[in-house]
Amino acid sequence: MVALVIGLALFFDFTNGFHDTANAMATPIATGAIKPKTAVTLAAILNLVGAFLSTEVAKTVSGGIIREGSDGVQITPEIIFAGLMGAILWNMVTWLKGLPSSSSHALFGGLIGAAIAGIGFNSINLEGLLQKVILPAIFAPLIAGIVAYICTRLAYALTSRHDPETGSKLTQKRGGFRTGQIFTSSLVALAHGTNDAQKTMGIITLVLIAAGTQAPGSGPQFWVIAACALAIAIGTYAGGWRIIRTMGAGLTEVKPAQGFAAETSTASAILASSHLGFALSTTQVASGSVIGSGMGRRGTSVRWNMVGKIALGWLFTLPAAGLVGALTALLVKTGVVGVLIAAIAGTAAVLFMFFYSRKSAVGHHNAIEVEEAGQAVRFAKKKAMARARAKAKAHARTSAEANTSAGATTGANTSAAADTRADANTNAEANSDTEAEAVTTKDAQR
Amino acid sequence: MKWLELLTVAGATLAAAVTVVVLYSLGVRLTAIAGDVRQASPGMKRSLAFLCFGLCGLAVLFGLYLIIPYFSG
Repeated sequence: MVALVIGLALFFDFTNGFHDTANAMATPIATGAIKPKTAVTLAAILNLVGAFLSTEVAKTVSGGIIREGSDGVQITPEIIFAGLMGAILWNMVTWLKGLPSSSSHALFGGLIGAAIAGIGFNSINLEGLLQKVILPAIFAPLIAGIVAYICTRLAYALTSRHDPETGSKLTQKRGGFRTGQIFTSSLVALAHGTNDAQKTMGIITLVLIAAGTQAPGSGPQFWVIAACALAIAIGTYAGGWRIIRTMGAGLTEVKPAQGFAAETSTASAILASSHLGFALSTTQVASGSVIGSGMGRRGTSVRWNMVGKIALGWLFTLPAAGLVGALTALLVKTGVVGVLIAAIAGTAAVLFMFFYSRKSAVGHHNAIEVEEAGQAVRFAKKKAMARARAKAKAHARTSAEANTSAGATTGANTSAAADTRADANTNAEANSDTEAEAVTTKDAQR
Repeated sequence: MKWLELLTVAGATLAAAVTVVVLYSLGVRLTAIAGDVRQASPGMKRSLAFLCFGLCGLAVLFGLYLIIPYFSG
């Protein structure tokens, strides 16, 4: 049982890394600062390093939410098994949907559900739950968002340059932020390693203590740290491209300066909070930052319906993972057969989702259209449109003079199409124009 | 109470992020100025820009130093 739980915990760690690559690497990939493959490799290495750096969070994880120890109830490996099952399944579902949901909340939700079903409602420390999970869940994205907003405004204000005499724009070299993004996104990946790998370490340590192979109150053993670090690094390398797409292009258009500001706020929020003992969700902080930086740049629109979808996903994370955890706990309670059924059903569900995802694979090659490409298309489109419009106007004038009122009633475009030989040129222009438009709208939908 | 800690986290986040962003933005601005055609002392501006980037990096390293328990004990 202990071995099974450890294996499951490591698999959860893998999904966690998989799920959260987006937090660190979505914005630099979106702005073209780093190539997708390089980005995930970098993130994986930094996650590995980060996991070794600190074990502070591991010592406090899960403590305080479920009453353990002599005065409370004894948490068993079975409960943890059930909780992990809930967390993994929810992670897979949200990955399939491309929703950046919190892996930590999935873990907490699963454990809480399993504890309620397996032990009883009194096993839950409601005050601890409120303070450690619910409050940070509300404030983490808020703080990160506000900070990112301020930083984006600052970055743009400090780099905007106008000629004092003519008032025309001077070169701003905002592309310089792209280089900075490499460092800030690395910082986020590092922060993620110090934070999220710890959660699994905490769980495995909890299991070892519960099974009696490790003294209570001691920190994680070295092989646990190494295994967790490796699992999260491999997961990160595998890359959750669906979520990268959502974070990098679904919420708002990200420019280098915005990405820089967002990543800086994400990294400082995660590092500050984990240092001061708050278990923040990396995902929520990162999403909050991206939204905040989207609001900070003039002329950028935040796609609020996507934000709503994500927020809904967050709301459901705790209960949904909890429900799966609770069901698994009930199954496990029945004995060895129950454990087997749960394990097989869980594996089957994960495999099903994996193969289902193959239908519409999202990989490093098509996760995000890189900014330059998007800009080039839009630029060309604008030019072509202006040219086409000028031609159509000129043509409409001449045709209005020649014909009677065809141009006035049906509009310049249709009259251009109706005319055959004089305007083959304009037609071609209009065609390329619509083509360019189709490309950009496709771009926007991603 | 947790509210005080929450405020600390918010304050620390804001301070750290603003420091890094301001320094880096100044660096970017200075490189842009150094790149101007009519610029009296591009070399000076450029070195100032690199100073800004350097300070920014130092700020990040200092933050890491504070956080990693191995260094701060």
